[in-house]
Amino acid sequence: MKKLSFWALISSSLALSPMAIADVSDGSAVIGKPWSEVVDLARGGEVNWFLWGGSDNINRYVSEYIGGILKDRYDIKLNRVGLSDTVEGVNIVLGEKENGLNDNGSVDMIWINGENFRTMKQGNLAFCGYLDTLPNNVLVDWTNPAISNDFGVPVDGCEVPWSKAQFSFTYDSARTENPPRSIAELIDWIKANPGLFTYSAPPDFTGSVFVRHVFYFAAGGVENLLGDFDQAKFDDAAAKTWAILNDIEPFLWREGKTYPNDINALDQLFANSEVNLTFNYQPSRVGLNIQNGTFPPTTFGYGLSDGTIGNTNYTIIPYNSPHKAAALVLQNVLLSGEAQHQKALADVWGVAPAIEISRTSEEVQANFAKVEVHPNAAPAAELAKAALPELQAAWITAIEKGWLANVGSN
Amino acid sequence: MSDRLKIFLLLAPVLTILIVMFLGGLAIGLLRSFNYMPIIGLTKPNIDAYVSIFTSKEFYVSFGLSLYIAVTSTVISSILAIGSALLLRRNFIGRSITQFLFQLNLTVPHLVGAIGILYLFSQSGSFARLAAEWEMISKPSEFPAMVFDPYAIGIILQYVWKEVPFIGVIVLANMQSLGENFEGVARSLGASRWQAFRFVLLPLIFPGVLSASVISFAFTFGAFEIPAILGANYPAALPVLAYRKYTDVDLAARPEAMAMAVMIALLSSVMIFFYVRYSRRRIRN
Repeated sequence: MKKLSFWALISSSLALSPMAIADVSDGSAVIGKPWSEVVDLARGGEVNWFLWGGSDNINRYVSEYIGGILKDRYDIKLNRVGLSDTVEGVNIVLGEKENGLNDNGSVDMIWINGENFRTMKQGNLAFCGYLDTLPNNVLVDWTNPAISNDFGVPVDGCEVPWSKAQFSFTYDSARTENPPRSIAELIDWIKANPGLFTYSAPPDFTGSVFVRHVFYFAAGGVENLLGDFDQAKFDDAAAKTWAILNDIEPFLWREGKTYPNDINALDQLFANSEVNLTFNYQPSRVGLNIQNGTFPPTTFGYGLSDGTIGNTNYTIIPYNSPHKAAALVLQNVLLSGEAQHQKALADVWGVAPAIEISRTSEEVQANFAKVEVHPNAAPAAELAKAALPELQAAWITAIEKGWLANVGSN
Repeated sequence: MSDRLKIFLLLAPVLTILIVMFLGGLAIGLLRSFNYMPIIGLTKPNIDAYVSIFTSKEFYVSFGLSLYIAVTSTVISSILAIGSALLLRRNFIGRSITQFLFQLNLTVPHLVGAIGILYLFSQSGSFARLAAEWEMISKPSEFPAMVFDPYAIGIILQYVWKEVPFIGVIVLANMQSLGENFEGVARSLGASRWQAFRFVLLPLIFPGVLSASVISFAFTFGAFEIPAILGANYPAALPVLAYRKYTDVDLAARPEAMAMAVMIALLSSVMIFFYVRYSRRRIRN
């Protein structure tokens, strides 16, 4: 009998052991603490990362490579939760806050930038002020305004940069000899090639950035648009933008009566030769799509002579995350030179790092020097020569709403 | 323990779930639709969200589209379902296997069906490619637009494909329990086959058709995923429009999303009420 109760005790304490994990939702337990203490808190726990799941290679990098490092070195289980739109993750945190779930939320981290970051700040949904706790934070150049401002909104220690992206076009040289190399040329090209161009409808992330290129063009350059939202300037540029977009509408795919809903749908149209141009915020997608056979090997990426828009994306920890220590460990791993290098490899993801390579170890620097982009993708260095900044989030929301009212619903 | 108490206790678990999950959610949605959302500083209820949706053209266009999709697919499904049930109740070789095949797509989720429609009927789909291969059209993109199209053909096709067996199975069970005696009597008294069907069988099976088609109507009016996958970007079905408002980055658009969801619930209740009343009267005359 004694023996039985002994085993019952053992087995019940085993069953209860996951409850004993020490990870915290209390931010003050990790901010400013020695890194080894944070890691000890996180060890044996888990972390729920919500991020856009529309790309297989990104999903694989996150689940297998990053998840592997967390498991092997820190004994942390990474749960990748795929979203079709980042705002879904923000909505979860918002709903939890409304229902008073202030220390046991379901989201530990979100891949984020721009308008969604503004929403997180607007609703006080972000965990802030911990950046100096991360050992790898020294790799980030916070003096660079393109990093310390997320679409014009100051980061204020509420998120950590992850990657940089820049917009580029894609064409198939077997179908198109001379693709249009500026927005002005594109407009003429569309009229000369009816039915062979379209763009994904805003608020799709990539379709929205395409419309912003036209907006910059209509405004006569981005210089006038930087800074806070200005209704008069907006009205002026917007009227011209809608005029251009409505003018080309009859020459779009399906006479512009409908638009693809997202960037994957546009890529599909391009792959099936329904349209002759596509575009992406991720120049390396061209190489990946050639490798997996979606696009023909005669496909090339390119930038515009008048520049393309670039931005930085980040990871953010919600204020009510119950696994803050594990989330910090995850962010530190993401910032590390080796993880940033891995994701820069063309066959992994091919995305530009958000850290200063010159601040990494010599070994990592040597590895970065060896990174080759797919020969068909637009080289990042060349794109960067003509990089255009993003506008503040208020502009972007106004452009998306205006497009729907003036172009999308015609 | 009295029978009444017993029944109540037995139903209590499911009632709890229904009341908490359904009415609770509805109540929170209702609060938010009246701009009550303390987290972003909205503490004074008002009807701004309703004013905003009722003054936008978008809402009426989307309502029209959703109504059109629900009515068209329900009417087509009901007619096809009655026809199939009439055929399937006969005795023929392979009847049980045919009945099994008829019901097979009941088990397939709507979402999977929608992806199937996309693969088959889109301008990059199998039929477009085959038509181009057989030189009926010169390239796949000339295939008539059946998905993402303004007439919602793809959406209706998907609903009909899914609802025909659903209504059909109910009608068939109904017919089989009735037997053919009533029609036999009518025929022996000189009714034509059509008259026996129209004045004897149809009124008898009608309650079954009605309840099945009301379920199908309510579902097709309020469902989100099929129009989200197969629908045109504009106009969007009402539930898709509500979801877009809900995922708008501007938190102030949330009350509008909730107001739309409340309107969807209200409108489908009202329409079901009239649908049932009208159809009953129609069939009695």
